[in-house]
Amino acid sequence: MILSKINTCKSGLMLMLLFVGFNQTKAGNEVAASDSVKPAVRYWQSSIGLSNPSYRDFATSPLFYRGVGFNISTGWLKRSAKKERLFDMLLSVAPMSATIPASNYLKRAVTSTFAQMSLRYVQLYEIKSLSQHKNKYKAGFALHATQNFRMNRFLQNNAAGVENVSNVMLTGQVMRDVSRSSEKKVNLLFFKPTLKPVKRDLRFQLNVGVLNFNYRPGYAFAYEGYLTSNTSPLLWILNNYSWSLNGWRTQGELELFTYLEGGNARSWTYVWSAMHIPGKFENFQMAMHQIKYTVFFQRTKKKS
Amino acid sequence: MKRIFIPLMVITIVFSSCEKIVFKPDQASSDPLTNFDYLWEELDKKYSYFELKNLDWNKARDYYRSRLNANSTEEELFDVLAAMIDTLRDDHSNLFSPFNVSSYNIAIRKPANFNWRTLNEYYMPNMWSTGVFSHDFLDSGRVGYIRYGSFMSEFTEEQMDFLLKRYKDTKGIIFDVRENGGGSVFNVPKILKRFTQTEVTAGYFITRNGPAHSDFSERENFIVTPYDGIKYLNKVVVLCDRGSYSATTLFSLATKAFPNMVLMGDTTGGGGGLPNGGQLPNGWTYRFSVSQLLDLNGKNFAEDGVPPDIQVSFNGNDLTRDEILERAIAEIK
Repeated sequence: MILSKINTCKSGLMLMLLFVGFNQTKAGNEVAASDSVKPAVRYWQSSIGLSNPSYRDFATSPLFYRGVGFNISTGWLKRSAKKERLFDMLLSVAPMSATIPASNYLKRAVTSTFAQMSLRYVQLYEIKSLSQHKNKYKAGFALHATQNFRMNRFLQNNAAGVENVSNVMLTGQVMRDVSRSSEKKVNLLFFKPTLKPVKRDLRFQLNVGVLNFNYRPGYAFAYEGYLTSNTSPLLWILNNYSWSLNGWRTQGELELFTYLEGGNARSWTYVWSAMHIPGKFENFQMAMHQIKYTVFFQRTKKKS
Repeated sequence: MKRIFIPLMVITIVFSSCEKIVFKPDQASSDPLTNFDYLWEELDKKYSYFELKNLDWNKARDYYRSRLNANSTEEELFDVLAAMIDTLRDDHSNLFSPFNVSSYNIAIRKPANFNWRTLNEYYMPNMWSTGVFSHDFLDSGRVGYIRYGSFMSEFTEEQMDFLLKRYKDTKGIIFDVRENGGGSVFNVPKILKRFTQTEVTAGYFITRNGPAHSDFSERENFIVTPYDGIKYLNKVVVLCDRGSYSATTLFSLATKAFPNMVLMGDTTGGGGGLPNGGQLPNGWTYRFSVSQLLDLNGKNFAEDGVPPDIQVSFNGNDLTRDEILERAIAEIK
C-alpha cells in the first residue's frame, strides 16, 4: 500500500519535471536564458519569508506539531552557464502546537517552540547534452546541515529536542528562460496595465539525500549520564545522543528569478522539504513549506 | 504568465500530496483503549524499576484495561491510568490532564518530621535569609544551621562563600533538607563540593536502554570534585525525612560517601530515577522514571528511600521542640 503511494508520488514528480522541462521545440524563437546568465555572476543574497513546519517525534509523542513562523537567510551565489555554486545559512523560527482531540472537560493548548538553523552548500555543473537554447540543465551535489531546537515544556525532562540532520545530497536543476521580450497589455476590466519587457528565469531544483546522517537521543530520550561538580547541563542533556546513518531527506525548490537593471536581481521561491529520521530507536519526521523573497546584490570581482 | 503558474501549481500540489503520502497520518485519538495501550507500552519499554518493585506489568494491563471500554469518559480514563501509574509507587510517575494531575504522594504516607514554625519561633527567631538559604547560629555560636528548601532554587557561589565564611569557626553545620522535594541534580554536587577536599565517587546511574525490564546502560559515575575555593570540612549533619525526594534523595545518598557527613532524621522519600516525559494520543502528558540511582555497592534501594545514619523522629505532640534538630546539635557537640 505504502509502496504504491510512493510510486504515485514518484509519478507526480516525473510529471512535474516534464512541465518544468517543457516544450523545448518552441524555445528557438524567444529570448535565450544564456543572455541573462553571463559567465560567473556573483551575488550576495539575503531573504525573508514565511515557514510552515510540521514535525513528529515518536520518542515523545505520536502527534504532529504544526506552526507558521518566519525565516531569514543570507548567502552567496556564483552562477555561470557552466557552473553554479551556492552557500546559504537559514534561520527559521515558529511557534508550534499539536492538534489534540476535543475534550468534554477542559480544553488545553499543547504548544512548543521550534527553531531551525541550516547551512547549505550546492555545487552544480551544466549537463550540455540536455541543455538547449532556453532550458539549462545542471546536476551536482549539496551538503546540507540542519540543527533543530525544539522546546516543549509539557514534556518535562524531555522538553528539549536538539536533533541534527546532515546530508550529502544529489542535486538536479532545470532553469527555463521565461523572459517577457516585448511589452504586453493586460486587460483586467477596470485596470489595464502595460507589462514591460523583463528578463527572468524559472528554476526548479531537487535535492535527494544519498548519505543521511542524524544525531538523535538514546533509547529513553532522557538519560542520566556522568555527573560531576563541573558538568555542563547542555552536555549532560546530549550525553546519550548518537549519530546514525539512515533515513531519507528530500528538498525541492521553485524560484522565479527576475533580473534588475544594474546587475542586481530578486526572486520569489517556494521550498518544500521533508525528512524521515529513524535514528537508532524512534522515528523523527518533519516537513516544511517555505515562501521566500530574496534580493541579490551583484558583487564585482576584486582585481588582483 | 500561464507558462509560469501552471508548473508552479503542479509542483505545489505534488509536493503537498507527497508529504501526506510519505508520513503516516497523525495518530491523535481520544479512544480510551488506544490511550491506555500507548501509555502501558511506553512504560513497559522504558520504566526503570519494575524489578525492584516486583511488579507484574502484564497483570496490571489485564486488570486496568478491563476497566475501560470505547465509551469510557475522560474522567474514567484518567482514574484508570492514574491508578495503573500509582502501582509503580513512584512520585516521578504522573499523569497530567487538563483537569487533574495524578500523584502517588509518598510524603503524606508517613509522618512529617519538620515544622517551620517550631524552628523559627523556638530556635532561630531572627534567622538570616541569603538567597534561597535560611540560616543562623545555634548552641551559642558553636553550630551553624542552614536550611535549603528546594533543589529547584538556584544559588550562586558567592552566596555559598558567604555562608561558609559566616560559619567557618563553628564545630559543625546542620544542613536541613527535610521536606525538600528535589529539583535540579546540578545543585547537588554544587553543594557537596564545598564539603570535601578530595574527589568523591558518590554513586552511579544506569538508564533503560532496551525493551526488557532488565536492559540498562553501563554505569555512569556520580563524582563530586572539590571546590577550588572556600570549603567547610568540619562535621555536617544533614537532616532528611520522607518529604526529601528526588534530587534530595540523591544528595542524601551521596552523604554516605563523605566521612564528615552524617544523615539524620527519617528515611527519604526516594525518587532515584530520572523522570522522562511524553504525550498520549489524546494530548495528555505523563512522566515516569527511566533510570536507577545506585549506591557505591551497586544497590538501587534509594528509589524507596535512603535510610538515615541516625534515625530520629519529630514528635508532633510538642511543637515547641524539634527533636531531630536537638539530636543534630548533640551529634556535633
